[in-house]
Amino acid sequence: MTRFIIRRLILSIPVLIGIVFVVFALARIIPGDPCIAALGERANERSCAEYAASHGLDKAIIPGIFRVDGQIEIRPAEFPATLVDNQFVLYVQGVAAGDFGRSLKFGLPVTDLLMQRLPATVELTLYALTFAIIAGISLGIISAYRRNSIADVFTMLIANIGVSTPVFVLGLVLAYFFAVTLNGTPFELPPSARLPAGVVVPALATVWGLEGLQGPPRAIIDFLSNIFTFNALVRADWGLLGDVIRHMILPALALGTIPLAIIARMTRSSLLEELGLDYVRTARAKGLRDRTVVLRHAFRNALLPVVTVIGLQLGGLFGGAVLTETIFNLAGVGRAVTEAIGSRDYAVIQGFTLVIAIGFVLINLLVDLSYAFLDPRVRLR
Amino acid sequence: MIRRPGRSPVLAFIATAAIIVAACGPAASTAPSQEPSTAPPSEAPSAEPYETMTYPADGNSACAIPDYQGQIGLIRTLDARTVEFNLCKPDAAFLSKIAFSSLAIQDADYLEATGGGGEALVRNPNGTGPYKLKSWTSGSDIVLEANPDYWGPQPKTPTAIIRWSAEAAQRLVELTSGNVDGIDNPGADDFEAIKANPELQLFPRTALNVFYLGMNNTKTYWKNEKIRQAIAIGIDRQRIVDTFYPPGSSVASHFTPCDIPGGCTGDEWYEFDVTRAKALLAEGMAEEGITSIETKLHLRDVVRGYLPTPVDVATDIQDQLKTNLGITATIDVQDPTTYLATAGRGELDGIFLLGWGADYPDVTNFLDVFFGVGADKGFGDKWDDITDPLAEGGAVADQAARDALYTTANNNIKQHVPMVPIAHGGSGTAYRADVEGAHSSALGNEGLFAMKAGDRDQIVWLQNGEPGGLYCADVTDGESLRVCEQIAEALYSYEIGGTAAEPGLAEKCEANADSTVWTCTLREGVTFHDGATLDANDVLVTYAVQWDAAHPLHVGQEGLFEYWSYLFAGYLNPPAS
Repeated sequence: MTRFIIRRLILSIPVLIGIVFVVFALARIIPGDPCIAALGERANERSCAEYAASHGLDKAIIPGIFRVDGQIEIRPAEFPATLVDNQFVLYVQGVAAGDFGRSLKFGLPVTDLLMQRLPATVELTLYALTFAIIAGISLGIISAYRRNSIADVFTMLIANIGVSTPVFVLGLVLAYFFAVTLNGTPFELPPSARLPAGVVVPALATVWGLEGLQGPPRAIIDFLSNIFTFNALVRADWGLLGDVIRHMILPALALGTIPLAIIARMTRSSLLEELGLDYVRTARAKGLRDRTVVLRHAFRNALLPVVTVIGLQLGGLFGGAVLTETIFNLAGVGRAVTEAIGSRDYAVIQGFTLVIAIGFVLINLLVDLSYAFLDPRVRLR
Repeated sequence: MIRRPGRSPVLAFIATAAIIVAACGPAASTAPSQEPSTAPPSEAPSAEPYETMTYPADGNSACAIPDYQGQIGLIRTLDARTVEFNLCKPDAAFLSKIAFSSLAIQDADYLEATGGGGEALVRNPNGTGPYKLKSWTSGSDIVLEANPDYWGPQPKTPTAIIRWSAEAAQRLVELTSGNVDGIDNPGADDFEAIKANPELQLFPRTALNVFYLGMNNTKTYWKNEKIRQAIAIGIDRQRIVDTFYPPGSSVASHFTPCDIPGGCTGDEWYEFDVTRAKALLAEGMAEEGITSIETKLHLRDVVRGYLPTPVDVATDIQDQLKTNLGITATIDVQDPTTYLATAGRGELDGIFLLGWGADYPDVTNFLDVFFGVGADKGFGDKWDDITDPLAEGGAVADQAARDALYTTANNNIKQHVPMVPIAHGGSGTAYRADVEGAHSSALGNEGLFAMKAGDRDQIVWLQNGEPGGLYCADVTDGESLRVCEQIAEALYSYEIGGTAAEPGLAEKCEANADSTVWTCTLREGVTFHDGATLDANDVLVTYAVQWDAAHPLHVGQEGLFEYWSYLFAGYLNPPAS
């Protein structure tokens, strides 16, 4: 098992290097000039030249290749001189040292922005995934168990609608219904943000008297601190917890509906397949209760493809978070990347995308590991 | 800032130089002669003489520097409450300019302590305004709390929270649900729904902008004035405004909006007349020896207050060109981030859709920017009969004389048709019905401190985007400038919801006879949020830091201080291009 994990982690390094290069290149291929995006209507040649110089954007992108006035320009004569002194080399050097650069828009280190934005996305994803798994598997089991019944038809109808409804449509409908139509009723839910306006969540480092702590331990504490659910739980702040959950319900519903539908359908088909096998018939013949046969025997064997799908959906949730965070005005990674693309904030695009890619790699690893746990026949080598 | 001699190397250097210079007397100032600049203290806290300052420190007016483009020649402090600006030429828009948010006065010591920029300054503003920054949670919100030591009336709501969302529909849901008290820029389609909702109130925003169709007179058909005039007459601008613009918008009678004093002098723009347009077009085409016109219709698909639905408007113009004039136009949607530069370099050979929003409410901010000697090449070659009156108008303080000059300029713009002004696009703000003092600002700087949000102790405002930074000397986005307006103040300020400049941190600013020297007297008892007292040297340093590109505190967020050049045309010691 350990060797497997180490080998997978080592194999992921070239993948991540490839991602670094591709994202770096894509960010710079996007038409447009960060200077114009940052300075707006009144940017001029002088200000853009100063802007480029101050952010190192006047250097070669990679050896011999420059970007001038938003256009890629190849200068073979300058290849040797820019072999080392170019944006890509400088960026890779920074990443290797744990420095993702500074945001062009905010002037803040990207790592600081990540610490602020990633927890919101992680929290949203976990809420959405929890909802999708619990509801999806439950509906899938009911549907398989009551095959061809009204419950089955209804469940699959819901699943089909769910899988075919875009996140932004569902999000806006949910926001309007729960925030406006049900306004003033006990079912009213806030349409945006992570907390009510003006509520400030105390940092755990402050609460625990660790303000002097620096480096990675402090970063981890700050990260956890910004996962408001965790923050509220460890401080037993039930009021805050209630606020966090109320604000997360609609985004989680919007984000989790498509995975829910896919998980439900996969659970149903996988379980139906298992329920038709001999060992199930044998179990029933032995007189076991239906619930035991389905949940203890068939369901566990049916889980393997479901787990694969859940792993894939978890990756997809990061993508869906872009839209969900925009619609529900959540300050997460997805919205930050969207805004960064609009403002040509290269450092943020690169840093955040790399972190998402690392997340994908780790999730895939976890999914693989879970196979061995769920099916003893699978041996990880 | 109460001066503490010897504390700051930079300021000590400037002050020492100033004393030496003051002893010798200013060499090239146009100001009336002054007493030696080490004046007696005017404030109780310090028993030492007040150290006046002069910038440039050698006392020589920058106006004498060859190739200097700027309008400010020399700034000096006469005592703790008096600062004097010596200009290179009369500037009728001076008060309007010094009211702009980017010229909010900073505490000189604070500027120095923060190195004049970086995160320490950009995210921790230290102003004199009615609100002070309590917290800024990146990506989420900015919380402002009332400044208990504010020299003026306290904010009507103790706490102001500023949030942001790029989606108009989302902003409206937030407002309708009561999550926020006010929103910026509701979608044009939602104006009627907001009006019909008794729980909401709508404030159309006076349009200090213009949307125009540009033509470069060095390119293809647009070299011919009659063809340009035909375009001007053959487009039904009223139809465009009626169809695509929100309430509060208007057809442009002139390039400059009429809410700006002197903006609408001269003849109104051409009436829509297809027959006349066709006749002019035929004449122009005959002169050019062509029988048909095929052109591109360039635009960027970016929503602005002056152009709420770019592609829809372009499609309608395309249709009108074909139907009214027989001109075939192909819509060319360009990359938004390169579009402005491309247009500015004069590289667009078709008709291009663009617009402009006011920085400060003066004619110079419209006509000079586009048709003055310093305008870019978007419209091609300039016309002397436009640039000359504009140059004169910007230098004359007397409003009647300015009006006469701008009448000439506007009439000649109408004659030459470098562009067709289409509309002044309105926008708006919307609030919950119980918000007292709610308003829209033509300049986009709504004063949250003037609003009372029902019986709540906080007012929540939802705008389009997150501020880039709060050291507003070095930002250009309206989202930042609006927040700065709550926190920091300039010598003058714009009236709430209006465009007139009125005293801010200065009790008054008075000009000499030819308006080349402006002397401002500061209010007494004004303190910054960190407790430092405002004095004249704070004003000088605030200006000097932006003006002098070689100043050690010319750091900011990007170090560009763009608005300085828009307001005063040029920097001292500009970096070599």
